[in-house]
Amino acid sequence: MRPVADLLIGAGILLLAIGGLGFIRFRDSYSRLQAAGVGDLGGALLVVAGAALRASRAWEVGILGLLGLLLLFTGPVATHAIAKGAFLRRHAPRGER
Amino acid sequence: MNGIYQGLIIASAVPPFLRLWRGPNFWDRVAGANGVNVRVALVLALEGIAGGKAVLLDVALGYALLGFLGAVLLARFGERGER
Repeated sequence: MRPVADLLIGAGILLLAIGGLGFIRFRDSYSRLQAAGVGDLGGALLVVAGAALRASRAWEVGILGLLGLLLLFTGPVATHAIAKGAFLRRHAPRGER
Repeated sequence: MNGIYQGLIIASAVPPFLRLWRGPNFWDRVAGANGVNVRVALVLALEGIAGGKAVLLDVALGYALLGFLGAVLLARFGERGER
């Protein structure tokens, strides 16, 4: 169980690092939101799954499952709210001003 | 080996924090705040599991919920144009 958990947590941290790189390297706000949404959600779910494999008691697994479900359902909603606000405020992508 | 995952996640929270700090516009700042919130919640959950402090799991759950509410409220606030 422990090597699988380490593998999952490592893969999640790699995804989080790549998504964080997209935060500073991408060109306009919408591309950065894409990096934030995809990278953060995948990395967070992998890290939570790895932590659930390392948990020793049943209720810890339950709380980690709740945390994973919360991240799974709220991450896209937050990204969508930010992108919708930027779009409605006529925030133009770079080069299309 | 103790706490190396937490340290790596904190290191991966540096680019969102830079985006929150320097971000050229309001939407980049909100997205950076969201990224930092997700990573802090993950650090709390990992510390609760690997560090044996099980209370931090509940703290991580509440922190993730409040971070989501803050991001959505900021997005709606900026959408109405009162920046």
